[in-house]
Amino acid sequence: MTVNSEPEALLSHLQNADGSATFSFSGYTVVGAVNGPIEVQRRDELPEEAAVDVIVRPAAGVGGTRERHLESLIQSTLRQIILVDNFPRTLIQIILQVTTTPENEYVNAKVAQATSNLPILPALLQTAVLSLLSAALPLTATLTSTSLAVVADGQSKKVVLNPSPREIETSQSFHVFSFTSHDELILAESEGSFTVKEWDEAFSVAQRQCCPPTNTDDGDTLMDDGSLPGANLKQFIRSTLEGKIASDLHWK
Amino acid sequence: MATAQSERIFVLPGDQIDPSLIPSHPKKALRLGPGLRHIPPNELVPTVAGQLVTDPRKNSIWVEYNGGRYVPTVGDLVIGTVHHSATDYFYVTLSSYTSNAILPQLAFEMATKKTRPNLNPGALVYARVCLANRHMDPELECVSPSTGKADGLGPLNGGMLFEISLGMARRLLMRKSVEEGKVVVLEELGAAGLAFETAVGRNGKIWVNSEKTKTVLLVGRAVKETDEKSLTVDQQKKLVRKLVREMS
Repeated sequence: MTVNSEPEALLSHLQNADGSATFSFSGYTVVGAVNGPIEVQRRDELPEEAAVDVIVRPAAGVGGTRERHLESLIQSTLRQIILVDNFPRTLIQIILQVTTTPENEYVNAKVAQATSNLPILPALLQTAVLSLLSAALPLTATLTSTSLAVVADGQSKKVVLNPSPREIETSQSFHVFSFTSHDELILAESEGSFTVKEWDEAFSVAQRQCCPPTNTDDGDTLMDDGSLPGANLKQFIRSTLEGKIASDLHWK
Repeated sequence: MATAQSERIFVLPGDQIDPSLIPSHPKKALRLGPGLRHIPPNELVPTVAGQLVTDPRKNSIWVEYNGGRYVPTVGDLVIGTVHHSATDYFYVTLSSYTSNAILPQLAFEMATKKTRPNLNPGALVYARVCLANRHMDPELECVSPSTGKADGLGPLNGGMLFEISLGMARRLLMRKSVEEGKVVVLEELGAAGLAFETAVGRNGKIWVNSEKTKTVLLVGRAVKETDEKSLTVDQQKKLVRKLVREMS
């Protein structure tokens, strides 16, 4: 397994885009570019707010229904955090190019088959947010997202955070959650069969992962969170942006 | 900026600003700069990622950042490209893929209905933004409305246009660009005996003109390199020495 568990990002590396970011996490690498506010086509123009256009391009081939589905999910999530009323009658364009997806070593990847749409969603959302921050577009908050699978473990069931493709395939249900930096749930997508209790459990694991307590004075809770696998994405966004701003404003 | 801030304060969109950081002045009203949003009655929220800067003397607070697309603001000096002209207006492009700004043909020094400047598509103008709001196209002027003088604004003839980052344009336009902006590249080039003129647009453009084409290219490249490689004052001096040596 050569899946990187630590997130990595590169900001503002594309010359001709207003903002850009490359983000890699758990086997996915996505390049994002943001342009905006720019002139919008007449038919997409909204009189009171900016139109948000999300384009997802797969690693191989041309986009299809799968990409349209992801685009609609990302679009409706992002327009809640972008201050769209600041730029009426304009367009904010977000292009997300997938470059790497994790390989499932149990399946012959060359055989075309219907697979789940959702596993790539957290990586796409994270890239989009980093690109928007790089483009200095006004936002109300940032967001972090995570994926979970509920896997049958003998009689009982366990929740796996950031599951591998194999784990997703053998799982009974798969969930994606996104939280804003104000710890509010902004996106919840699930597939497979699950009970409300399982969903609640997955939700609480996701909430602990995406909204880690900022106060570090309580030693006990810190120990519990330390046992959670996966990276602290909230802290990751902050440290990445701090590095970028420090180098941008080196003259200050 | 005037204050000696011991540490940088980073903010992300939606972060809470420590109330102790917000300057309070007994008389002056608080002035909010770019990157901040006031949610009535009394909430102040950053909307971009950047460094929070305050100026207690002016009682102002803003977020300093670099990047993104130029959004016109009243009072900014910009370099625009004439796109086309109509009977009363020139339509001027400030950045690519955005709607054109309008520049009235009479907003030039000494312009009357009979003697108006003739600008062809592609001509460059140095102008001030006099109207900018989100619902309307920005409006420009090349003349001071109170004095009727051009004050250096107007058509830019000859020379060459270079693209720079918005942060670099801001540094070059600072009143004390050497002390506060830490850019000495233009001063050093001038001290090295080169004769040239420049105009900096807040929309990320710098126009350079000289009698010698070589000088134009050298100055433009020096500024672009300073911007892209984020050179320090000493590195800028070194770069200028190297470029001048290569030219002669």
